[in-house]
Amino acid sequence: TMAATKANKEQKYDRQLRLWGDHGQESLENAHVCLINATATGTEILKNLVLPGIGAFTIVDGHIVSGEDVGNNFFLSKNSIGKSPDKLLDNDPEFFHRFTIVIGVQLPESTCLRLGSVLWSASVPFLVCKTYGLIGYIRLVVQEHTVIESHPDNALEDLRLDQPFSEFTNHIQSYDLENMEKKDHSHTPWIIVVAKYLDKWLSEHNCQAPKTYREKEAFKLFIREGILKNENGVPEDEENFEEAIKNVNTALNPTKIPSAVEDLFNSQQCSNITSQTPSFWVMLRAVKEFVHNEGNGNLPVRGTIPDMIADSQKFINLQNVSAVTYFCPKCSGLCWCVGKNASFLRVVRCRSLAEEYNVDSVNKDEIASCMDNPDSEMVFYLMLRAVDRFYQQHSRYPGVYNYQVEEDISRLKLCVNSLLQEYSLNVNIKDDYIHEFCRYGAAEPHTVAAFLGGSAAQEAIKIISHQFVPFNNTFIYNAMSQTSATLHL
Amino acid sequence: MVQLVGSLRKELADSLSTCKVLVVGAGGIGCELLKNLVLTGFKNIEVIDLDTIDVSNLNRQFLFQKKHVGKSKAQVAKESALQFCPTANITAYHDSIMNPDYNVEFFRKFMLVMNALDNRAARNHVNRMCLAADIPLIESGTAGYLGQVTVIKKGLTECYECQPKPTQKTFPGCTIRNTPSEPIHCIVWAKYLFNQLFGEEDADQEVSPDTADPEAAWKPEEAAARATASEKDGDIKRVSTKDWARSTGYDPVKLFNKLFKDDIMYLLTMDKLWKKRKAPTPLDWQQLENREESPGSGLKDQQVLGVWGYCQLFQHSVETLRTQLQEKGDGAELVWDKDDPPAMDFVTAAANLRMHIFSMNMKSRFDVKSMAGNIIPAIATTNAVIAGLIVLEGLKILSGEVESCRTIFLNKCPNLRKKLLVPCVLDPPSANCYVCASKPEVTVKLNVHKTMVLSLQDRILKERFGMVAPDVQIEDGKGTILISSEEGETEANNSKFLADFGIRNGSRLQVDDFLQDYTLLVNVLHTEELERDVEFEVVGEAPDKAPPPQSNQEDVNSITNGNKDSAQPSTSSKGQHVEKESCFLSFVSVMSREKKSQKKKIKYSNNINGDPYRSCIRL
Repeated sequence: TMAATKANKEQKYDRQLRLWGDHGQESLENAHVCLINATATGTEILKNLVLPGIGAFTIVDGHIVSGEDVGNNFFLSKNSIGKSPDKLLDNDPEFFHRFTIVIGVQLPESTCLRLGSVLWSASVPFLVCKTYGLIGYIRLVVQEHTVIESHPDNALEDLRLDQPFSEFTNHIQSYDLENMEKKDHSHTPWIIVVAKYLDKWLSEHNCQAPKTYREKEAFKLFIREGILKNENGVPEDEENFEEAIKNVNTALNPTKIPSAVEDLFNSQQCSNITSQTPSFWVMLRAVKEFVHNEGNGNLPVRGTIPDMIADSQKFINLQNVSAVTYFCPKCSGLCWCVGKNASFLRVVRCRSLAEEYNVDSVNKDEIASCMDNPDSEMVFYLMLRAVDRFYQQHSRYPGVYNYQVEEDISRLKLCVNSLLQEYSLNVNIKDDYIHEFCRYGAAEPHTVAAFLGGSAAQEAIKIISHQFVPFNNTFIYNAMSQTSATLHL
Repeated sequence: MVQLVGSLRKELADSLSTCKVLVVGAGGIGCELLKNLVLTGFKNIEVIDLDTIDVSNLNRQFLFQKKHVGKSKAQVAKESALQFCPTANITAYHDSIMNPDYNVEFFRKFMLVMNALDNRAARNHVNRMCLAADIPLIESGTAGYLGQVTVIKKGLTECYECQPKPTQKTFPGCTIRNTPSEPIHCIVWAKYLFNQLFGEEDADQEVSPDTADPEAAWKPEEAAARATASEKDGDIKRVSTKDWARSTGYDPVKLFNKLFKDDIMYLLTMDKLWKKRKAPTPLDWQQLENREESPGSGLKDQQVLGVWGYCQLFQHSVETLRTQLQEKGDGAELVWDKDDPPAMDFVTAAANLRMHIFSMNMKSRFDVKSMAGNIIPAIATTNAVIAGLIVLEGLKILSGEVESCRTIFLNKCPNLRKKLLVPCVLDPPSANCYVCASKPEVTVKLNVHKTMVLSLQDRILKERFGMVAPDVQIEDGKGTILISSEEGETEANNSKFLADFGIRNGSRLQVDDFLQDYTLLVNVLHTEELERDVEFEVVGEAPDKAPPPQSNQEDVNSITNGNKDSAQPSTSSKGQHVEKESCFLSFVSVMSREKKSQKKKIKYSNNINGDPYRSCIRL
């Protein structure tokens, strides 16, 4: 039955395994997610995490289902724990340490900050989500999030033609382009063609690879001369040579360690390994050691080559040579994955909520530069902060009751001004926005919640699976104009 | 908390509860959309889907549960939605939207139509129906992390077909039958083989060696003496593959030896083909039998078996399919479905054996499945996001603010400008669109002596121009009816050539589709110079081989990005490239990837004039 369950899962999760693989799925199944407040947005998030197969959930919600909730909420069957997050923070803050991630929805500012500091010191990722009228807000709070598989787009190939390793050099020597049948000649992979001609070039040019534009052009011509000619001296149609010429620029890219990875090597976590160090850093250290020893200054070979014109056997041979891994041959699992992705390793470090909210450490530059455009998405962030301030003073959100809308506009305006003053922000917020936020009356329109629930669950999946790079650190969605922005706060 | 409805303008709130909307498709986007609609206050909703629920839907289509597998998507979606919104008035149709019952009158009932489809044929059709009925349409699609929403309104915006879309990748018959060079060729061959043996036989899906291959320039009589294989083959040729298979009682070993030994030996006799290529190696069941093979590791689906492993898989799947066929009774046919295990096993086995024969690296069942089924990764989160966007665009339309609607692209992660969403102003209709222009016209290049009336109807008018039941009249002054959509009127013309009706260079054909209320004028351009296996070309359009526009390349890559890790090394020439493309091409939904240049077109719609409310909806 184990096998049957497995097959069943494969079938059910087929469409998503194609994005994050079995190991990604496994992390989801082992995760325990805490969701605070099952509002419309909360339930949307919950649904989007239940569907892909997250292992366990704990829902914290002190509210009792009211008539209004039924309107925008679709599965309130198993009802909450009945404890409010504030009570848990008072009595048992360690309660929150057990989770893979905590997702707080529609939290008042004070709860959010308290919880934020508990989770920050426990190194538990915290995702803050809010749907407020036609505005959505997500904030990721995590001290350090490591990503092994960042799945970059358009990554450069790792060919090492400038620093060929011995297996590759030997492999190239097995080709003799001069004394080859035409069929073999035109089915020799372009990487071999470039490597062969580079060898020749080096011997004729004092071991200096082509660097300048002119040299590269000359090198292309050099390769072109190698194309076979028919009995009348007309060059044959050799697509592999054309491919080689086309790829000269990429192929001659010097092999180097990406600066992002270099930075990680130099970071403290990588230098001081203790028994407490998370495995990511231990492996990163191993990669670093490798670079300094066997790697001769280079990362482990990625082991993949681009597709190219070649006959199958030659391609497979080349593939096998490239797939050679000197990196930790005994362990095929995670180490292998780290080695293969060495150039794409990423670490995301967010600022804490405390830093964001503290008058001395607030990111004024980001706020001020965005607000050069008074309609930047930043204005919604400031409005959300002002609304929180309103809630602190009045224990309710502005515009909740129709008869108070007019008064609330001036009250909210006071909150906006005091916020700007407190942080000495010299920015201008249009009255239009104050009116609009009062009009929202803290409504959580379902369709905006649906959008935000999708986006937030997606970030949670990135965090849980340690695949793909989450945003750092604030996401704002404007449903009026269907725009969005990520802000660094 | 106050409900959205409380803050909607009164008129809008009223119109939500009274207006009727149509949701086409109850799958990934459809389920989310239906939920969003009822929770936003829409009361009268009709939903149509011809599909039934499959296990692989359950990772995202949250209105369905395991107990619903096999049931109508539309019906179950309706029932599930009613559970959390019992006051909604939902009508479900378990049917194809292309059924003539859903005519222009049907479409006119609605204030708004929302597509949640997964194929281009249906999208084209709904586009035309909405143009004909003059009903606004919201089009949408997702692939993995990517998604898109757009609004189509007759006379105001581009229609779905204003921008030419790359046609579905097809492969020349002789590549499939004689000279496969990429895994996809073997997979296509295996799917054809399935239909030839168990399904509906199709003359365009031949699997046996193609002796008419111009590249072989080969006269069978001459080579016959050399070929021992052709003798064995002699009798088989004259009956259909299916009849022959039946006559052997679907004996797996006999089928195996015919397909993977005799046919390959026959191909070897066409020696010109192998001058520049590596020749295939025939397989022999008896020699392979009980060959020891070490089992692979990892998930079963993602293992690549050895040759004997695929032989056994071939044997078992043929036996299972034979039983299925017998149980269905005389004259029954099976339909290939990627989610049907024995059908998928059969294609995996046959494709891999052929890959092995043609020296390609074999592929796991998982990979074969994505290629054979044109599988696009699909996740709950992207669909949730897109369905949220659809309803917001819908609210703008119902508020009478179509001008403020946008085409919205959802990126995998925030782009360089830190935008996850990219809204673009809608483009006006294209003046020479062959669908929404006032007098649509196209020019088609073909050989009037070689094009049969049936292929004009099936390949050109139905497949290429998306018609359902075309009528064709020749503008020859006599009004000769070439094709009538009424049954029995013009079938006799089917196998005649266009030239037989006096059609020549410069002839004009008037084509009508009454269901779509669509008339197209086709100008015929006669030519003798079409490439091998090309039946026709539409003038003024990029040929099929053209790669997608450069600016969209990034998206194409990211669609398959997640696959890379598990993908087997591709073999020989440009394997991966074509795979990606076919995956991308099948992803009809995302018009973004088909638009001329997303980047060039972007007119950032927000804040251009400094007033965000100019384009906002006052809910």
